[in-house]
Amino acid sequence: MSLDRSIIKQGIVDALPLFVPAVPFAFVIGLVIVESGISPFVGWSSSWIIYGGAAQLTLISLLGSGAAVAAAITAALVVNTRHLMYSAALAPVFQQQPRWMRWFGPYLLIDQQFALSMLRADDDPKAFRTYYLSSGLVFWTLWQITSAVGLVVGPVVPAAWNLEFAVSILFLGLIVMGIDRYPKLIAALVGAGVTYLTAGLPNRAGLLVGAFVGILAGTMAERLRE
Amino acid sequence: MTDFLAIVAVGIGTYLSRGIFILALANKRIPDPVLVALQFVAPAVLGALIVALLIDSDGNVAIGIPELSAFLVGGAVAYKTRSHIFTLIAGMGVFWLVRALI
Repeated sequence: MSLDRSIIKQGIVDALPLFVPAVPFAFVIGLVIVESGISPFVGWSSSWIIYGGAAQLTLISLLGSGAAVAAAITAALVVNTRHLMYSAALAPVFQQQPRWMRWFGPYLLIDQQFALSMLRADDDPKAFRTYYLSSGLVFWTLWQITSAVGLVVGPVVPAAWNLEFAVSILFLGLIVMGIDRYPKLIAALVGAGVTYLTAGLPNRAGLLVGAFVGILAGTMAERLRE
Repeated sequence: MTDFLAIVAVGIGTYLSRGIFILALANKRIPDPVLVALQFVAPAVLGALIVALLIDSDGNVAIGIPELSAFLVGGAVAYKTRSHIFTLIAGMGVFWLVRALI
């Protein structure tokens, strides 16, 4: 019991500082829901239905900017394909977990949760589960609260502040901090450049063309590098 | 209603992307070429999104001096501080400042 309690505490202590970088995302999601014209409760429901910052921001900003629904959904799903890597990496660890945990665990698997739980991959199954649920529920709870705060503050912010531009700045930060070698820079630049050139395509379809060519360019640059 | 269904669709897709290997393919590996391509999904899509979010209703990309200044300063701050909060404050600050000046 005391062991359990110390693991729970450890999960909470580890999760809190890692949530700090997520605060602006959750907050801006709340603000953007207000500006998008989507009904506040429906918009906020994305925080527990999707529970993923980049995908929520992508979907809500695109829906709000008049993109075709199919294009918005596709873009949000493409953003989230990185989770496949997390799922594959944690699959061996989860094989020792009970069935309910194998079903519930993936719901909590955001970037920070992955980073923390990979460090615990060699713990015994019960300790892993206690830690995973403890840190995961901290992230989840804070995410719901912070996005709701953005939703409450949103209507107070004048439209002239163009707060939707904050989404572009946050995405730029994600790109810059994620670049660990030049092929990723190429992927980002080509993705942006091709989207610029295809901006005239209906329903923001250029976004998907740009993303696809960007991924291709990054992959080719990586091959040249090797 | 359409908005809610879109959210549910992305929710299901997100859950599957997080759960598929844990639930169903535990002894399968992602083929190496796919693994390489997956690493470039985030930068390529986010780069494309930054531009797409600035497209106006006529299909023009509305990037002016305020936006460009904000990207330059925001990018530099992100690189230096690795902090999303500082990046957001610097980027939006420059965006508002330059827009007020010109």
